[in-house]
Amino acid sequence: MSTFIHQELFLKFQQHLDNELELKEKIRAIVREIEQNSKEAAIHLQVIHSNIEKVPQACLEARKCFDKCREGYKQLAELIPPKQYYKYCDQWLYNTHRVVFLIGLTIYLEAGFLVSRETVAEILGLKVSQSEGFHLDIEDYLMGILQMASELSRFATNAVTLGDYSRPLNISRFVSDLNSGFRLLNLKNDSLRKRFDALKYDVKRIEEVVYDISIRGLAPQVQTQAQADEAEQATDSTAA
Amino acid sequence: MSRNRKPFRQNKNSTNSRQEEDVVDTPVMAAFREYAKELDDKHDRYERIVKMSRDITIESKRIIFLLHTIETRRNNREKVLEDAEKRLRAVCETNFLLIARELEDLDQNQYLRAFSPGLQEFIEAYSYFEYLKDSSKLSDWDDLQQFLTYNIDKPSSTKENETKEEKSLQEQTVAKKQIVCTIKPVEFILGLADLGGEIMRRCINSLGSGDIDSCFQACRTLQTLYAGYLRIRPVGNREIPRKITTLRQSTLKAENVCYNIKVRGGEAASWDTLDTAGFAMDKIAHDDEDEGFY
Repeated sequence: MSTFIHQELFLKFQQHLDNELELKEKIRAIVREIEQNSKEAAIHLQVIHSNIEKVPQACLEARKCFDKCREGYKQLAELIPPKQYYKYCDQWLYNTHRVVFLIGLTIYLEAGFLVSRETVAEILGLKVSQSEGFHLDIEDYLMGILQMASELSRFATNAVTLGDYSRPLNISRFVSDLNSGFRLLNLKNDSLRKRFDALKYDVKRIEEVVYDISIRGLAPQVQTQAQADEAEQATDSTAA
Repeated sequence: MSRNRKPFRQNKNSTNSRQEEDVVDTPVMAAFREYAKELDDKHDRYERIVKMSRDITIESKRIIFLLHTIETRRNNREKVLEDAEKRLRAVCETNFLLIARELEDLDQNQYLRAFSPGLQEFIEAYSYFEYLKDSSKLSDWDDLQQFLTYNIDKPSSTKENETKEEKSLQEQTVAKKQIVCTIKPVEFILGLADLGGEIMRRCINSLGSGDIDSCFQACRTLQTLYAGYLRIRPVGNREIPRKITTLRQSTLKAENVCYNIKVRGGEAASWDTLDTAGFAMDKIAHDDEDEGFY
């Protein structure tokens, strides 16, 4: 009877675990590398809060870091066996969110629009759909974008401190546009939903900044009508 | 939600001529509409799989319950086993097939959490079935995998473009296509750990019906099972240590039964009635209360 539960089964299982562990360690090494580069980019971009003139330079530096991140993702893509993405993705997703956020911020600073998922995927050398291979999931893109909104609310405040009164208005429009985009999504009660719940505080913070500068007549005159609309929107969305 | 959006849209139209961002505005909304579709699709699929998994859990629990009705005195072993096997096969051929269809072309790990409870319960039921059948060797995940691997006709694939993609991916299958519901080794090990609880119940029930050989057999199996789990070094899995603790408790209970038989067994030479087994049962029945395994 003792042969019914045979020890080979457990040996086989342990072997399986060991193999998995080995792969995980390799992944960890690569992820650490990507993490290093994304932190580097984050540090470069911190300049937006203290010196607006240096922003274009910071964007260039950040882009160099993204290139390095792409190298890392390429290595990951080669390492992960096909159709095993979701087995290991927990190891790098946290970092992916940050990279998406930084790319989003860079594109916003450079061009003023919301980076598309396709563009992020292209910058990082990832695919858009699962069937094509190592990809960027929609949830992870959105997580990064939400992180960006938080950073922009901080940017709005600091822009005023640095004497740039038109920037907050621009940010306000950008983020409220983003907000209405997010409202189109049916979110489940998951981490993305929780992160989205924080967006309203970012929107509120930015609106407060806009309010402060417009009530004191600090905002550039051409924008007055826009602000009025913004304020109206603000009351609408808070009332809702 | 629509309540929030409405005023915003009106607003947008009224300022259309003045705001240059309106050009940007539309792409964002359009993109998010696409994202919404994609997210909905994922959530729906997840929920569908959860439902299927729940059906599997229920049926597996019923099969386990059925298997517990085997008693030497009632001489129903063959019939129950036959019945259970039929039902286990049916689960493979219907419920798991549905999941396999949902997972077609996808990463098997993506929706694992949705069907892992059902899969584990099924593994428990199947291995318990094998145990009662006196199989010489317990099947492992690779053996079970063949039950959850299906060959389907390609034209039955849902969409035209999916079929095309498939062709480039798997050229070796021309007319038939293989779809699977993968049994991951970790899932198997977690499901198998629950077998301990069933064997412990079996041990106690056998004591009740006076089938002493079966008690000792159950106890020995539990001991080997427990020894096997001790071999595992679980890395980054919190479930396994938890299951091992439960398994240990089950083993101790079975050992206690055997101890009682050995010590007091002589006092009642024949164990064919429940009355004579009563004294040993008292202690065990009390221990068993917290288990609630099925």
